[in-house]
Amino acid sequence: MSEQNQKLIERRREIIARLKAELIKRLNLPFQPDDLHEDVALLGSGLGLDSLDALEIVLCVENTFGVKIADDNIAVLRSINTLVDFVMEQKPNGGAS
Amino acid sequence: MRRSALRDFFAANGAAFEARAGVECARAVADPAAEYAMVRDAVAVSDASHHQVFAMPDAGAIDVLDRLVAGNVARIRFGRVLHTFMADAGGALVADCYIANNDDEFLVLCESLEDDAAIRARFLAAGRDAGLRDLSESHAVLSVDGFKAWAVARELFGADVLGLPYLSIERYPFEGATVRLIRAGKTSEFGYLLVVPAAQAQVLAERAFASAKKNGGGLCGIAIHDDLRLEGRFFNIYAEGAAVRDPLSLGLQWMMDFEKEEYPGRSALLRRRAAGFERKIVGFKAPPGAKVRKGSTLHDGGRSVGEVVAVAQSRVLGCTIGLAMLPVAAAYSGLEFAMDASDGPMVTTISMPPIMPRSLTVKIDEM
Repeated sequence: MSEQNQKLIERRREIIARLKAELIKRLNLPFQPDDLHEDVALLGSGLGLDSLDALEIVLCVENTFGVKIADDNIAVLRSINTLVDFVMEQKPNGGAS
Repeated sequence: MRRSALRDFFAANGAAFEARAGVECARAVADPAAEYAMVRDAVAVSDASHHQVFAMPDAGAIDVLDRLVAGNVARIRFGRVLHTFMADAGGALVADCYIANNDDEFLVLCESLEDDAAIRARFLAAGRDAGLRDLSESHAVLSVDGFKAWAVARELFGADVLGLPYLSIERYPFEGATVRLIRAGKTSEFGYLLVVPAAQAQVLAERAFASAKKNGGGLCGIAIHDDLRLEGRFFNIYAEGAAVRDPLSLGLQWMMDFEKEEYPGRSALLRRRAAGFERKIVGFKAPPGAKVRKGSTLHDGGRSVGEVVAVAQSRVLGCTIGLAMLPVAAAYSGLEFAMDASDGPMVTTISMPPIMPRSLTVKIDEM
């Protein structure tokens, strides 16, 4: 694995681990972190979360990573990976707040 | 080979056919780009009779179905649908299932890797005396999908269709018979599966087609659904499902209830879960012009680390996208791998789903 890829993996892995732990706790999901594939749909199909859960996810990301998700940015909420992409774009030099 | 009751209707409209799990299916009706545009921008009607369809009276159905699938059937509320899967004793995927609690009956729609007889045998083995009815031959399944699919459903069955939530079921009278309508779909646009008796199937298809045309759409085949599914990152048992077979590596844990005590493959799946799986599925996109095929290898630092298991053309992204199996340690988006050789074209792993469908930007009950 190239050094560039390895650095990206380490940063991404850290954000994913924090996000999964928070989502499982806040949404009371009946899964272990490894059970949650990062591409699984959060709302509707997949985990089947509803609009109240969506609000909880927004708060979770904002409180955990110190980034603000705009009200109309529903594309960010599609999967764990899209949330992680958003956090990495908003905080290019670090993860947690 | 089972023939759909809609076969002649689609043949008369120029469809080309293929076999899928022992069923002859309308693969394509129009140009793929036109079929794709119909679903994303309007509505397309297709023959989804490759589904195996079973009905079971309410009494006893929960016990039988709970012994067959990985999801928790007892938790399906009236009028709602559970999306889950059926596995074999070794925990390998057999069928992708919608299970609907339709008041006095449970309805099961399977997209499976086995033919009708093999799936029927699995149901009978789980509950021979449960009043199982195999509707696969006596009924057809019409699929209505697209940004304006709701308009076709409303014209066929009335405005209350618009109030149905995703993954729900309702019955509607049609030409002296009953149509079971499931709001589902795997294109990431609005979608409905209509289970109709064979005698009424052609009339329903004609009316759905006429309504689709009024709304800027038409007919499509099931092949374009494969592209739409991958672009929306909906699981496809005929693509990555058939290639991988392991629900854990495929990320299908959301379809499972880990607390359930009995279903085929449970022990094997729990063992693999406890041990930790070694590889998992990741999305990728290829550079323009790169020839990607199922089975292509992904290379990192001169060695092969992964394999492509599904490929589609993303018309939104304007490139080929796909799914690859990679070691868990390398299964992250944003990484680059050389394809087919260490000096091959570079593909980039991506976060899925890579598109934002129009249907997610509007509320159906406000239309």
